Amino acid sequence: MADHKNSKRGHVDSFIVRSLLWVDDRSKVDKFFWGIVVVGVLLTLLDLFYKKKTYFSTEAFFGFYSFYGFIMCAALVVAARALRVVLMRSEDYYAPTDVESEDHPEFDLNRKEADV
Amino acid sequence: MFEWLHPALVYLVGALLLPLVPNGKARAFLILLVPIVGVIPLLTMPFGEFFQLNLFGETLTTFRLDKLSFVFSLIFSLAALLSLIYAWHVRDTMQQVAALAYAGSAIGAALAGDLITLFVWWEGTAIASVFLIWARRTEGSYHTGMRYLIIQIASGVVLLAGAAIHYRETGSLAFEAFSLDGVGAWFILLSFGIKCAFPLLHNWLQDSYPAATVTGTVILSAFTTKLAVYALARGFAGTDFLIPIGATMTLFPIFFAVIENDLRRVLTYSLNNQLGFMVVGIGVGSELAINGTAAHAFSHILYKALLFMSVGAVLHRTGTAKGSELGGLYKTMPWTMVFCVIGAASISAFPLFSGFISKSMILSAAAKDGHYITWLILLFASAGVFHHSGIKIPYFAFFAHDSGKRPAEAPWNMLLAMGLTAFLCIAIGVWPNALYSILPYDVKYNPYTSTHVITQFQLLFFSAIAFGTLMRTGIYPPELKSINLDTDWTYRKIIPAVIKFVVMFVSAVWSELVRGAANSVSAIQNTLASFYGPEGRVARVQPTGYMVLWLAILLGAALLVNLVELP
Amino acid sequence: MEPSSILLLTMALPFAAFLLCLLTPNRDNLRDGGTFIIALLLLVAVVNVLFDFNSGTSIEYEAIVFQKGLSIAFSVEPLGMVFALVASSLWIATHVYGIGYMRGNKEKKHARFFACFAFAIFATMGIAFSANLLTLFLFYELLTISTYPLVAHKENDDAKKGARTYLGILMGTSIVFLLTAVVWSYAIAGTLDFKQGGIFDPTLSPVFMAVLLALFAFGIGKAALMPFHRWLPAAMVAPTPVSALLHAVAVVKAGVFSMLKVGVYVFGIDNLSSTGASEWLMWLAAFSILAASIIAMAQDNLKRRLAYSTISQLSYITLGVALATSMGVIGGGLHIVTHAFGKITLFMCAGAIYVATHKTNISEMRGLGRTMPFTFIAFGIGSLSIIGLPPFAGSWSKWMLLVASADTGQVIMIGVLMVSSMLNVAYLIPIFARGFFSPATGTGSQAVNAVVPWREKLAEAPLLVVVPPCLTAIGCIVLFFYADNIVDFLSPIATVPSVETTNG
Repeated sequence: MADHKNSKRGHVDSFIVRSLLWVDDRSKVDKFFWGIVVVGVLLTLLDLFYKKKTYFSTEAFFGFYSFYGFIMCAALVVAARALRVVLMRSEDYYAPTDVESEDHPEFDLNRKEADV
Repeated sequence: MFEWLHPALVYLVGALLLPLVPNGKARAFLILLVPIVGVIPLLTMPFGEFFQLNLFGETLTTFRLDKLSFVFSLIFSLAALLSLIYAWHVRDTMQQVAALAYAGSAIGAALAGDLITLFVWWEGTAIASVFLIWARRTEGSYHTGMRYLIIQIASGVVLLAGAAIHYRETGSLAFEAFSLDGVGAWFILLSFGIKCAFPLLHNWLQDSYPAATVTGTVILSAFTTKLAVYALARGFAGTDFLIPIGATMTLFPIFFAVIENDLRRVLTYSLNNQLGFMVVGIGVGSELAINGTAAHAFSHILYKALLFMSVGAVLHRTGTAKGSELGGLYKTMPWTMVFCVIGAASISAFPLFSGFISKSMILSAAAKDGHYITWLILLFASAGVFHHSGIKIPYFAFFAHDSGKRPAEAPWNMLLAMGLTAFLCIAIGVWPNALYSILPYDVKYNPYTSTHVITQFQLLFFSAIAFGTLMRTGIYPPELKSINLDTDWTYRKIIPAVIKFVVMFVSAVWSELVRGAANSVSAIQNTLASFYGPEGRVARVQPTGYMVLWLAILLGAALLVNLVELP
Repeated sequence: MEPSSILLLTMALPFAAFLLCLLTPNRDNLRDGGTFIIALLLLVAVVNVLFDFNSGTSIEYEAIVFQKGLSIAFSVEPLGMVFALVASSLWIATHVYGIGYMRGNKEKKHARFFACFAFAIFATMGIAFSANLLTLFLFYELLTISTYPLVAHKENDDAKKGARTYLGILMGTSIVFLLTAVVWSYAIAGTLDFKQGGIFDPTLSPVFMAVLLALFAFGIGKAALMPFHRWLPAAMVAPTPVSALLHAVAVVKAGVFSMLKVGVYVFGIDNLSSTGASEWLMWLAAFSILAASIIAMAQDNLKRRLAYSTISQLSYITLGVALATSMGVIGGGLHIVTHAFGKITLFMCAGAIYVATHKTNISEMRGLGRTMPFTFIAFGIGSLSIIGLPPFAGSWSKWMLLVASADTGQVIMIGVLMVSSMLNVAYLIPIFARGFFSPATGTGSQAVNAVVPWREKLAEAPLLVVVPPCLTAIGCIVLFFYADNIVDFLSPIATVPSVETTNG
């Protein structure tokens, strides 16, 4: 990130890219994140203003989906991280009977640098 | 008008004629023509059974068009067209032939009305598809292809055995709903389960798909597993224990997906997870659930292809699809990024994207029938999908830390294929009724209720917040150059090691025995030699004597045989 | 012509070819051309017999009558008809192939080679149309003797050693066990004529039946049932056309054909199933199927691997007999055809590879498919057919054997057939796949360029060697679509179904 933060070039001049260049700016990413949090909180507060149609009683709790989504995802990542301790191996673990230790063959590629 | 046109045969004829056409634009057009011609009979024929033939005294139906087979053969045709546009630039004859034969086999299987026809096409998909893996032409892809082929053919052989047993149990070869009272149906279920990547039978999927070529993986992603979903939906709808199986399928792959580095393999894990939703739908078996399964298969094929296409385009331009090597590509591949995000939004079931209108049917069906735990798991899996497919894929490929790579935008044909697929993903999400109208049962379902939309947004936003929080606190596992063990470890490491040990042990014991025997033989020889002497007369006479003895025994035996009077 | 004269003609023609070869030791083109024409005529004659047979004529000929129930006689029944058709049609392909191979490979003594070849076909026709056990036995022995010089053709120590094993086991088993069994059968039944439903009294003790069946099963050494299978790999020292026709078609198929004949016309399948006399044979066949496949996996010499594969596949047919159901024997009969086409393709491809590159070991064949695409595609088709995958012929015989196993409730046999298919994939497909998708042996591990047009670097064997396997490979596909006709044709042999089919 640091290498390219200040370079004006290095990207295709397209409106999509121009509208996204802020992702390289840490403070703007921070703002984006807090924006998401605010929207999330507002969405949760919406629960107070409409009648939820539910199948199960758990669903009816205030902000159930919000809490469930956050907690389970956090748990997922923590558990997956723990799994790494047991399951992770180096890329050439199965070599030579595995593609992970190989380069993708060039005939199947069409490498091209962008015109920037 | 087109009664003589069998969709699968169109593909096979196309595959056979291909090599005769000069390898260039003409051939590329011919390839695209195949799925277009192939869909004509699907769209014009009335529902019914056609192309029946007799074999060994049974009537086989090779073209059964009804609502369920229509949905699946239609989406297979569509997937074939889109992925062939994506593969427009491929000039490898073998891949072209394999792609057409594979798509044709999948369509043929979806239209099969009996188990024999199903078996023929079932194995057809196995044989044709392995070439898309071998086409990478490396040592690793050769071995991966062999593993894949053996497992796929095993599925077909189990199907054949199941068909044989079922045939003898019920006297019928029809491919209809099976009852699990007989042994045959269990074999058939196992066969479907292998191709559907049931838990513990799943690992061929993650092992093989990332080993194919750029275009091969896209083509592979569409057919085999969804064919299995179709087969399960037809044969085993409403089988209760499929619900926990499906729930497990949605659950365990998401853990692997979070820590996997190869983005194409991340997608295979999420493919596995999505299949879980469909299997749950089949297990629930209500009209809503089967509709949900069919709809989800339909939209899933599209957005999964789209995701594979976008990651494939990155691989095509940079030579790698590993999260640890990528990042910051949005600057030079903006359109690929946009399409990838559309695919990600669809798989995450954002409202107005295709996944939302199909997945919610399955969740509602599970909830309606009171499967509380399953419902909780599916909800968790939905959040997890957003986490690893919806955010992780676009984030690590196109954003994250800048890898310094500045690849050019994907070639036009790839952009076109991605654009069309992305359009369909949005169109289905925005106008679900078009898809709903072709589902197996009448649809009285509205995905866009305020409850659905709001709760789904809550779930997704807080998943995203969890992702952001974990990234910012550094808890999120970084992308590392690594692989993770899965069940393939058993047959790639443990079993070979055991075999090696047994062989070593047996040969060691054997050579000891042989040496011991040789020692005792020479000891006996020495003893005999000391009795008879080196040039003893007895030794010279013996052979003749033995011969006479044997002749006598033989003659005696013959005589005896002639005299024996049996009761 | 009289139907029975045509029947005799099917034996006279190859015998004429035998004489022709002996008389023209130095005129290669005359001999090879003449034999080719005779081979074509033989096929015409056999097809004529088929037409006569299909029109309902009973075709019989008694050559010598020793006493009542003991004669040299010929007759036509469906199994023999199918066997004769397979052998005579494949003779044409192999003869063409043999010419290309012997010339391309600069082998010596062509006249002796083709003479013995023709004589072997003569013996095969005799076996196919034999009307009783005695005739069968005589021609069976003639076949062994006539193929001995073919196995030893190279005349080096290896060839002689292999040929000795070949002759020793085949002659030994046939004299010690088969002759005993024939004599014993005559003693009990008073006749040796093949008869629908068997010649034995069904009330005979099961133990006796089992013992007699054992004498037959081991006596017919050509069926290569373990442990009397060693002759088959030993015979692989022979030139490849010999391996192709004789050890994929005529000799081994004479073995399993005899097994089927004995099962159907001497014992009768309902006798076998009601007494359970063949149950042990079923287990032994299952063992052979799996053990031979496992041994095949360890072989690096291509022809040896194919030989072990043959041993395994022959036991499919033996299994069909041992299951003692109509589906089983019909499936076995069908497997004679499908395996013949598949295996001859594989052997001819192995020979083509040898002619073009002089390579015999599988580990040296990596990357060869790119220079020999026709050979390797044919090899791939043959492999898939042997494994039993659609759209190739082998899938139907596997299906029928599976149904037969289901009929008898033998779930373990179903398992054996399934595992065997997997093993077949594991030892046949790598040859094909590595031929196309691996870097050539000894060139390091660089990936192969996919887009180089193959026409520029084609290095196939001579045309006469490449075309026949391609034709038989196409045969594997064609038979997939016509298997139904063969099954219809064979079904009269099992007109006494042992198990009632549930739906009919």
